[in-house]
Amino acid sequence: MSDNPTQSRPKRSFSPARLVRPIIGVVVVAFVAWRLWGVVYVEGAYGPETWARFAISGLILGGVYAVVALGYTLVYGILFMINFAHGDVMMLGAFAGYFTLEALDGSGLLNRSVGWSLASIVIAFLVGMGIGLVAAVLLERLAYRPLRNAPRLVPLISAIGASLFLENAAQLVFGTARHAYANPDIMQRSAGWTLMVGGQEVLLTYTGALTFVLSIVLMGGLYLLVKRTKMGKAMRAVAEDKETAALMGIDVNQVIARAFAISGALAGAAGVMWGLHIGIIYHYVGFIPGIKAFTAAVLGGIGNVPGAMLGGLTLGMLEALGPAALGLPYQLKDVVAFSILVLVLIFRPTGLLGEVLTEKKM
Amino acid sequence: MATTRPASQNEGTVRVRSFVAPGLLSAAIAIFAILLGLPGLAGGLAQDWFDLGSRAFGAWALIAALAIWGGAGAARKVEGRSWAGAVGSGLLAGLAHALVMAAVTWGLGSLIEAGADIRHWLVQLTPDAIGLLTLGRAAWQAALVLGLSLLCASFAGTMLSYASRRYTWREHISGWLQRLGDRLAESPPAQLLGKARWARSALLVIGLVILLAAPPFLGRYWSNTLGTVGIYVMLGLGLNVVVGMAGLLDLGYAAFFAIGGYTVALLTAPQPYGIELDFWVVLPIGIVLAAAAGVLLGIPVLRMRGDYLAIVTLGFGEIIRLLLKSDALTPYTGGPQGVLAVGGPSVFGYDLTSQMSFLYFIILGIILVAFITTRIRSSRVGRAWMAMREDEDVAEAMGIHTLKYKLLAFAVGAAFAGLGGVIYASRNKYAGPEDFNLLVSVNVLCLVIIGGMGSIPGVVMGAIVLKGLPEVLRELDDYRMLAFGALLIVMMILRPEGLWPSKRIRMELSGASEPPEVPDSASEGRP
Repeated sequence: MSDNPTQSRPKRSFSPARLVRPIIGVVVVAFVAWRLWGVVYVEGAYGPETWARFAISGLILGGVYAVVALGYTLVYGILFMINFAHGDVMMLGAFAGYFTLEALDGSGLLNRSVGWSLASIVIAFLVGMGIGLVAAVLLERLAYRPLRNAPRLVPLISAIGASLFLENAAQLVFGTARHAYANPDIMQRSAGWTLMVGGQEVLLTYTGALTFVLSIVLMGGLYLLVKRTKMGKAMRAVAEDKETAALMGIDVNQVIARAFAISGALAGAAGVMWGLHIGIIYHYVGFIPGIKAFTAAVLGGIGNVPGAMLGGLTLGMLEALGPAALGLPYQLKDVVAFSILVLVLIFRPTGLLGEVLTEKKM
Repeated sequence: MATTRPASQNEGTVRVRSFVAPGLLSAAIAIFAILLGLPGLAGGLAQDWFDLGSRAFGAWALIAALAIWGGAGAARKVEGRSWAGAVGSGLLAGLAHALVMAAVTWGLGSLIEAGADIRHWLVQLTPDAIGLLTLGRAAWQAALVLGLSLLCASFAGTMLSYASRRYTWREHISGWLQRLGDRLAESPPAQLLGKARWARSALLVIGLVILLAAPPFLGRYWSNTLGTVGIYVMLGLGLNVVVGMAGLLDLGYAAFFAIGGYTVALLTAPQPYGIELDFWVVLPIGIVLAAAAGVLLGIPVLRMRGDYLAIVTLGFGEIIRLLLKSDALTPYTGGPQGVLAVGGPSVFGYDLTSQMSFLYFIILGIILVAFITTRIRSSRVGRAWMAMREDEDVAEAMGIHTLKYKLLAFAVGAAFAGLGGVIYASRNKYAGPEDFNLLVSVNVLCLVIIGGMGSIPGVVMGAIVLKGLPEVLRELDDYRMLAFGALLIVMMILRPEGLWPSKRIRMELSGASEPPEVPDSASEGRP
């Protein structure tokens, strides 16, 4: 399978379908170049401080996407299945953190002292990660494990079902209202450090900094876990070949359950970050970040842990800077993200760092 | 299993745990049901149907049913044939269940007594809904009564389940059903339908006549409801070509529906362009545009397989919706408000925009689409699609130009969606971006899968179950998507071929290798 099969094929007659990819490529490049030229050189619409603001928000969002993308990539790397409900696990984590902070606020502990405030945030993260972990493990046990050996379409449909179920259950249980996170006073969403860029003030919020630092820590931790521990080794072995791994004495079911547990905990942490930084959560909050994190995972090369980190940060930056750089309204940022997804899959389905997947894995 | 511990003690703890677990599991599900507000729903339905004085009957019945189910689960863990073991397991499971539920009732009841506003966080836990559990009594009384009744219910569940196993009731009943089914299958009408082609055709014709004769007697509400179901049947038949026959998972199907809808909207409405073409001119334009969009999207993405394709099509569907919705394109597409006053069909000056005439229109569309689908399915193209669905590499090796056939499948499916979109927008006299959101794609996919992939009667059945039932049972509307999600998972685990699968898929999944009685029926069908 490693040699290129197109070389041995006899020359086909000219087909217009072959021209499509180059045409799309040229059109996209020309469009981007034209808009960039117009916005950056001709109009000069934004000063450096605006670009700095966009870049900061892009990095922070990118960190969240990267953490969610790690969960996708971990599961995909082992089972070759898109865990469609991953974004909804993030939503559950966000709600768990919300209820924790509400409870701490209600009992007056949230703002009793600086120590209590910091401890509250730690507790919120732990609860969010715990709920995400439990949800992901249950999901795997109930919706995916019975379908382990079914054709590829079957678990994907089951995952779509799980996603619908979780979203609508959350809508029924928590209501359709948007809930505002109760941040402690020292961590208000408007508070932060002021940076001077080009003579203008640029705000770096505490929540943003916390989100970014924490996402880097989680990414590093996962990387070490996969590369350095025995559990990570078992995961890589199962990802390589399930039957052989089982013959080597690895409990495949347990490894898969652990991969789901880790991905769920990461999604839960991302949910709490989202709540603390963005501030508003509702039952549908996981859907768009979920799709975007999947985009990030694909962008970096799905199944590849460093790829997911790189893809997440890249996607966050592109999404924040893209609409401005292309002179599009900010409303179209999701269009930019989805277009990147479609373009990556058309031109480089293996992603930035992805290995060349064999046919079986594709 | 630790070897150092005495075996008997170890056995004992394991057994106790295996009896307590079903009780706790059913209690957890009951708590989830309460959080979802299901007792209130069951109470309302029971009150309507059986003319009961209070909603509490239905609510308690639901909770008791869960307790019985938990108890029955414990009975399955009983080893041997001892009644003592069954009684013990029933008591353990029942106690575990009842204690948890009593604690929950007591907690909720006392929170309400204390005046806490739980509803702020958990919207279904209104004082009214908790009142259904506590029956308006004090929290401790309610907890006591509920706990005792659930203990009895769970215990009864264990006893019933154990007795049915002990006296093999279940085998008797299933054997009786089996014999009934056999006798029905052997009855003359069934034999006739199974063997004779003309009998099947006659049934089809009778069905069609009833279908075509019915609309004038239906009235506005039913015409509207059936019209919605019919449009979904049309969409389902289109997606059935793509997913069921060609095996390409398309999650952006609503985009083609939107293209059909927006074509008719923009070309017939006075705003924003004021072109106001005739409906009959726009209808083919809409279908062709949708099919062209299918090809255009298909060429770059169809090289991908399986789940990648699903995600790209999902992304494409969202791009179309977001673009239609964006403020920047409002002058061209109507923006978030959509397009109003979409034109409808007329023939020789007669206006055909009533719900009834649209119902006829939809029925004709379905017949056309179903006819085309059946013809394609048994043609060379259909066989190529099915070969591709089963194994792409093998199909390619057999000389099937897979890209070409994939594109054809995409185009056909998109054209049907375009037709559906034209009729839909024209019937509603409106096209808006949220009419074509991801939920539409997911709904159509669900009905194809639940009905049975690749099967036309399956799609009709799926549309009736998924779109028709919730229209009729309005109370269930909030719970519809929740039920879809659960149904999708359950179907994938228990019956991946769908409610009414196509013959071929049923054969594949049951592992039968011989073809259906083709040579026999030709000779025996004729008298």
